[in-house]
Amino acid sequence: MEKKEFKTKKSAKTLQTAREAGYFGKKMLTSALEAQKEGRPIGWSMVTWWEGDLIAKAMGMELVYPENYGAFCAAVRRAEPYLEIADAEGYPNTLCGYARNCIGYTKTLADNNLEVPADAPGGGLAKPVLLISSGAACDARYKWFQALGRYLNGVPVWTLEMPQTGLKEFYLPGNKEKNLAFILEELKEFVGFLEKLLGNKMDYDRLEEMLAQTLKTLRLAYEVDVLRKTVPSPMVSQDFWSVMIPHLYLPEDPEAYEFYQKVYDEVKTKVDNHIGAIPNERYRMMFSELPPWHSIGFFDDIAEKFGIAMVIESWNYHAIKPMPAEELEGVTDPLEVIARLSYHKFTEDNDTARRYDASPGFFNARYLQWAEDYRADGFLAHPLMSCRPATYTLLHTKNSLEEKLKVPGVVIDGDIIDLRVFNPDEAFSKMEAFVETMDHYRELRRKAEMAW
Amino acid sequence: MSGAKSTGLARAAELYSVRGQRARELKQEGKKIFGYFCCYPPIEIMTALDIVPVRILGNMDEPITIADGYLPPVMCVFCRSAFDIGMKKSYDYFDGFVGAHACDGAERTALIWTNYIKTPCNFHLDIPHTAHNSAVDFFKQQIAYFQQAVEKFIGQKISPEALKDAVARHNRQRALVRDLYDLRKPDPPLISGSEMLQVLIALMCIPVEEGNVLLEEVIQEVRERPNVQAKKSRLLIWGSLIDNTAFTDLIESSGLNIVVEDTAIGTRPFWHDIEETQDPLDGIAEHYLKEVLCPRTFRDSGPSYQEDSEMRFGYLKEFAKYWKVDGVFANIIRNCDVHGYEVPVIKDYFAGLGLPVLVIEQDYSTAALETLRTRFQAFAETIG
Repeated sequence: MEKKEFKTKKSAKTLQTAREAGYFGKKMLTSALEAQKEGRPIGWSMVTWWEGDLIAKAMGMELVYPENYGAFCAAVRRAEPYLEIADAEGYPNTLCGYARNCIGYTKTLADNNLEVPADAPGGGLAKPVLLISSGAACDARYKWFQALGRYLNGVPVWTLEMPQTGLKEFYLPGNKEKNLAFILEELKEFVGFLEKLLGNKMDYDRLEEMLAQTLKTLRLAYEVDVLRKTVPSPMVSQDFWSVMIPHLYLPEDPEAYEFYQKVYDEVKTKVDNHIGAIPNERYRMMFSELPPWHSIGFFDDIAEKFGIAMVIESWNYHAIKPMPAEELEGVTDPLEVIARLSYHKFTEDNDTARRYDASPGFFNARYLQWAEDYRADGFLAHPLMSCRPATYTLLHTKNSLEEKLKVPGVVIDGDIIDLRVFNPDEAFSKMEAFVETMDHYRELRRKAEMAW
Repeated sequence: MSGAKSTGLARAAELYSVRGQRARELKQEGKKIFGYFCCYPPIEIMTALDIVPVRILGNMDEPITIADGYLPPVMCVFCRSAFDIGMKKSYDYFDGFVGAHACDGAERTALIWTNYIKTPCNFHLDIPHTAHNSAVDFFKQQIAYFQQAVEKFIGQKISPEALKDAVARHNRQRALVRDLYDLRKPDPPLISGSEMLQVLIALMCIPVEEGNVLLEEVIQEVRERPNVQAKKSRLLIWGSLIDNTAFTDLIESSGLNIVVEDTAIGTRPFWHDIEETQDPLDGIAEHYLKEVLCPRTFRDSGPSYQEDSEMRFGYLKEFAKYWKVDGVFANIIRNCDVHGYEVPVIKDYFAGLGLPVLVIEQDYSTAALETLRTRFQAFAETIG
């Protein structure tokens, strides 16, 4: 049977720094491969919002991130063979695309006596001694690593805990501190587990250094987000999806901080000179949640054709807002700082959610705040066939934005990995029609004397 | 239903067919009714305050329409269906709503639910992902918050004695359910899968005392009646829940007898008693987190794939032996991640026991069931 060709398109990106950010993805992969040669331990980690990564790295472990590898394989159009392997292994094809990519890759690793196959995209993921999974946001992110036991016989899985209380329950007296105490207790257990696994003690001085650097990097990444409120937008989502790698995966790396200084400078220069990321910005849109990595060029097309700037996006991948000073007052244990940092990621929007009476805080409330802060004209919801947890709240958020802030939304189905689900022509037509909707709602906001 | 009283299996069938009916009657009599998601919210707390806990389920007969505007189609179909019928007022008699972080689907549905379907009292119960000791302690604290919220709503404190009594009554129910499961041990089993499903769902719609009476009636009836079942291959169902007899009827009319279900409406809520502890919340937390064996809870990995599988699924070997199972149906409601990731390992595990596994990912719709018949028939022929 003739194989159907699917259209894909890369983005040109608008920032020079965004074009350079691919360096960090490659750095992670090559560092792990070098570590393997040197006999140093390698871990595969989910994005843990800094909860587990820093601890493992301070213990001397080199980490790679299979979620990022999934995005990389999709971007270089190398995911399909791995998806097919996962299908053949019996995993439902409705599971997370990143997971299926990783399962397929790991099967090839196992079939190659756990040596990285020579043709693996980006050099491949080196064999791990530990899988660090996370309960935050998504069940797949521990079920998937558990499933890898079929191929990585005996490689242990550690699941990090991240409480997810409801909005009202977050404010129950003492509950927040109980949540934090639980995370801290679990992190202590994690350290003990690592010490036993690796046979060395935690270097707390090293951990504190890495944590300090992380906080600096995250602060700078947040400052870039603040600059992006400017009209016209100095940076768009096509840029963010590249520059997010260093703060999400390598915030403790001084190189990441230096890189973010360059990003900040580039964006600031544009702000100071009123230079928009796209020429003739006419509509400002928000995007949720993960993009079709194989077709980021689609956003260049809608920018060119309709003057749509994707001004802010993907809540889950942004640096946190700086924690209030009182949050860290008297906190000296680096593990407790980490607990507070990661927990802040999932609770920092609870006040916003309460103010808008729109639960949940995570995945949802930030878009309401952003709509105001970034003067959004529209919301592009991208339900993912294979990353459901990033998708569950999309329609609810869309409804809330329309109802509470007169910001309309459009739904464009797609996938982070699977090319077959995203139809760029259909998506383009939808955007063409949606421009009129945005005009209509802009008028409604004007009549309601809203700020934008 | 409150007039000429039916008993036993006939009563279970009535309660199953009109699921909210008894709860609505009790509400008329002044009782408070709370809906709860999944099998993790401790129903003992509600029972201790004379609240009737009603399990929130979907409806395979009802096309999903309203939920399309709130929950994306890529989401767990069961959760979408539950929300859909909630929006269509199937649960408009609830005085309280208890959501739970059982899995992503249940959690997000519950969080979104409270934005659109209002009840006088609601609580979202966080459930840790692991069964570590600190997770059990944390879960106990969350259950204590739940208890306080319900006490505040009712305006009455639960004494430790009242909670212990509620635990004892629910443990009695668990023991009776296990007794009923025992009646499926003969070949052919004394009770069909569809009858069993009717009884179990009936229990989830009525107060525990009524449920215990019902179970005693059913057990007696099943023991005394002539065995009407035909001898067929014996099936263990593992995976996502089944809450409609159209599905079990289809399976059992395809040459299979369902003898045990490791699902959220099967053995999982009933298989272990809650230990009677000094502080009842200790036993409750331990039970729900460690003994309700849904794959949503991460169990620490074993030293090898085989040992890890044994640690996680060893109980299924016992089930298979005890009920003399011939084959396994792995039921995956489409988009159910926590079961979906387990499919290959479950197949490996049962293959090691010499048991074939039929895996079906289905759409939680009676309209789509008939197309599955040939698969069950073929499976029955294979294992027969």
